[in-house]
Amino acid sequence: MAEARITFQDVGKRYGSLWALRHVDCAFHAGEVVMLIGPNASGKTTLIKSLLGLVSPTEGRITVNGEVIGSDPAYRKAIGYMPQISQFPATLTIGQLLEMMADIRELRADEVEDSLVEELGLSAQLDKRLSTLSGGTKQKVSAVLALRSRPGILVMDEPTAGLDPLSSQRVLQRAAAVRDAGGTVLITSHLMEEVESLADRVAYLEDGNLKFLLPVQEILSSTGSTRLSEALPRMLESNALSHVL
Amino acid sequence: MLKVFKYTLIDLARNRFVLGYALLMLLVAQGLFALEGDPTKALLSLVQVVMALVPLIALVFTVVYMYDTLEFTQLLAVQPMRRSAILGGQLLALAAALLLAQAIGLGLPLLVHSPTVAALVLSLSGSALVLVFAALGALIALKQREKARGVGVALAIWFLFVLVYDALLMWGMFTLSDYPIEPFVVPLAGINPIDLARIMVMLQVDLAAMMGYSGAIYKNFFGSVGGTIVAALILSLWVAVPVLFAFRVFRRKDL
Repeated sequence: MAEARITFQDVGKRYGSLWALRHVDCAFHAGEVVMLIGPNASGKTTLIKSLLGLVSPTEGRITVNGEVIGSDPAYRKAIGYMPQISQFPATLTIGQLLEMMADIRELRADEVEDSLVEELGLSAQLDKRLSTLSGGTKQKVSAVLALRSRPGILVMDEPTAGLDPLSSQRVLQRAAAVRDAGGTVLITSHLMEEVESLADRVAYLEDGNLKFLLPVQEILSSTGSTRLSEALPRMLESNALSHVL
Repeated sequence: MLKVFKYTLIDLARNRFVLGYALLMLLVAQGLFALEGDPTKALLSLVQVVMALVPLIALVFTVVYMYDTLEFTQLLAVQPMRRSAILGGQLLALAAALLLAQAIGLGLPLLVHSPTVAALVLSLSGSALVLVFAALGALIALKQREKARGVGVALAIWFLFVLVYDALLMWGMFTLSDYPIEPFVVPLAGINPIDLARIMVMLQVDLAAMMGYSGAIYKNFFGSVGGTIVAALILSLWVAVPVLFAFRVFRRKDL
């Protein structure tokens, strides 16, 4: 097994009396893509936000590259994040936003990966104001921002939502490239068909609990399916998970 | 922090609301100076407008801007940067943009039509109010999760400072006029930053005499160098305390 890049150690997050995450214990490794799935309000976003430092866990601890994450934000230099909703300063241009983020991350010219700008058709739009962009184009900008620093850890929340099929494919290819280069990729998506070919393992969350984290092959073989999009519903309906729960 | 400041300021420099604020102040100030033959009278009318409008705009704009940029703030918060740098940069940029708009909208007409000490004090007091109410706006936006609720709280606070507080103070002064309340008048007026700013300007145009007994008390205290320093300190506290609380809230806030 490759080294654990990210670990969640008995992590819980409570909002008032509601536990959004409870006793989450798991590790994500170098060189793998993990698909986070689960119904609405199952805790996927809270899990991601805990890793990114956007929310503070009520209990437990999270490590990234062996270091417990705390108040030092330096660990986030290794992380690229593509949020589900992309909202940018209205009057900045795409070019200014890319410059701003490179500036904030203190990226040198040789550390910047700009080929995705061209691939996603943004080169000719660099002078466009962000307020004038469609939702899909904002998602493309968001993908570029996440991947531009060649992150070792890539976190994508519904990355294909709003993207055209070709752009979706290109973004997912880039995610695969991060994995192939030894990175760790976490993806949440409701469009299982789109990301299933990419996933190495699947984490299923329900009511804030991590119900299972299994290799795709194991899920397929235990249900006799060839596709994850068929296997998972079958698995959940037939309670075939009882051996791992 | 400077990086966030720089790009937030670039964004705000082209913000329609900020440009509209500069234009509105310019129109109001120019209009008053054009309508009133006497620059001092125009200045007095302008004081009333500034004391009501500046806090409202600084407060509501800051609250709305903070809510509207929440998703981007989240994106900044996942970068290798401390949260204090994010909030510091954003607040500095908001203050700089509003102060710049006010310098154009209010400062320029004052400089052209009434280059007096009173006009300078009005400009400085207006700037202090921008900072005070932008700081309060930031704190409100960080404390309230919902935008509508945040704007509602902001409006309630503005209403309290602009109308309710003065009404209560006046009522108290009339009701207790038979008692020696003068030791309490100065600190009570000083609690409200708008009243404090207004008093500082009024003293410069020598209108304290028209404000009766309380005016004499104000003049006696705030008319001195020591009083001016105290007023500046109180206004600084009105900026510093909400800003410190805002940093404290933002550091711990789940985004």
